[in-house]
Amino acid sequence: MKLIIDGREVSAYPGETILEVCRRENIFIPTLCYHPAFKGQGVCRMCMVELEDENGNRRMVASCTYPVQEGLKIVTFSAKIDKVRKNIIRLLASRAKGSDYIQDLAGQYGVEPLDLPGLDNEKCILCRLCVNACKLMGSSVLAAVWRGIDKKISTPYEEAAEECIGCAACYEVCPTGAIEMKEENGQRIIWNKVFNLVLCQHCGKAYATEEQIALVERKTGISLPALCEACRSQNLAGRLKNFSG
Amino acid sequence: MGKILYVQPEKCTGCRTCELTCSFLHTGEFNPLRSRISVVSFEKEGFFYPAVCQQCSPAPCMMVCPTGAISRNASTGAMEVNHEICIRCKMCMIACPFGATFYDERANQIIKCDLCGGDPACVKMCRGEALSFSSLNPAVGSKKRAAAAKIKEVLEEVR
Ligand code: SF4
Ligand code: FES
Repeated sequence: MKLIIDGREVSAYPGETILEVCRRENIFIPTLCYHPAFKGQGVCRMCMVELEDENGNRRMVASCTYPVQEGLKIVTFSAKIDKVRKNIIRLLASRAKGSDYIQDLAGQYGVEPLDLPGLDNEKCILCRLCVNACKLMGSSVLAAVWRGIDKKISTPYEEAAEECIGCAACYEVCPTGAIEMKEENGQRIIWNKVFNLVLCQHCGKAYATEEQIALVERKTGISLPALCEACRSQNLAGRLKNFSG
Repeated sequence: MGKILYVQPEKCTGCRTCELTCSFLHTGEFNPLRSRISVVSFEKEGFFYPAVCQQCSPAPCMMVCPTGAISRNASTGAMEVNHEICIRCKMCMIACPFGATFYDERANQIIKCDLCGGDPACVKMCRGEALSFSSLNPAVGSKKRAAAAKIKEVLEEVR
């Protein structure tokens, strides 16, 4: 199907969102709560664009969730869109005072955060990307808890969750660096849970949590030697050497 | 049958040209840490083995990937990583029986051999002919096939 984006005709496939089409066409739309691994969430509203009808009337929609339709006329940047985005960033920067990523963004957009007390170390913007990652991994231990200004992302009762495998995919997808993970003395600590890392039998490197390895073994049906990546190829090479020698 | 990147460790001299070629072509840098092929060396015995993705079928990396970021390129047969949708959970690295799925710290990306889109550069640069790219059909010499069978046997033992 055909769409008009910023006056240019663009083709799209049914089921795609406006954002997906724009990304493919290299039309820049800023996003915060979007990651291509997941469905658009419509949480942060940074990706707002305007739709224009036959009469030239415009309305705003979140491009990461809005499905394309034949003949849709889309405007990706306007004074109004700019204002909305600046407002969003101003509010997020007022909250996430501790996140360099968000503060830098505020700088780029030239907005001054509000002076709200008690948020100096806050980094989370509640974008829920971590929640999505956790769900996709099959653990589903993260969720938004409480309401209003107390809302935050947490494990059930803020305790170490049984299903958490310590994969740190949440840590990897978090755009603001809000998730803390520590690795020391053969342990990984994340979301209040302490994992004993499996040490490579050959070189002693701590390379994964027991739970991660168990999940891989379950999914593949292959039982793995307790070797890190490098030692695995080394081990293989050693066997080949004995074969040829 | 598709072509495979065929490794003959007994011909490898351990020169590591493949590593440099690989990292340079993929990253613009001569950095073995960013190479998708990695030479394991047993200096004393003078034995070297260039470890590289075997493009397994079925592929454990693909089986464990939660996002569908790893898929087989239908024309080259290579297992490729879509960095856009990878969430860096590293399940693929844990699952790889050959230790041939790597993490490139600089790019913050999972990397593995992609057969250079069907024309592997390391093969062309390998002076010792330890690397070759061919289809293992009956036309290939029996010696080569016997060697391939040997490698297969060892690999299966590892899995
Ligand atoms: S690290 Fe990326 S490619 Fe590897 S299994 Fe996880 S999502 Fe898939
Ligand atoms: S990216 Fe669309 S609402 Fe956040």
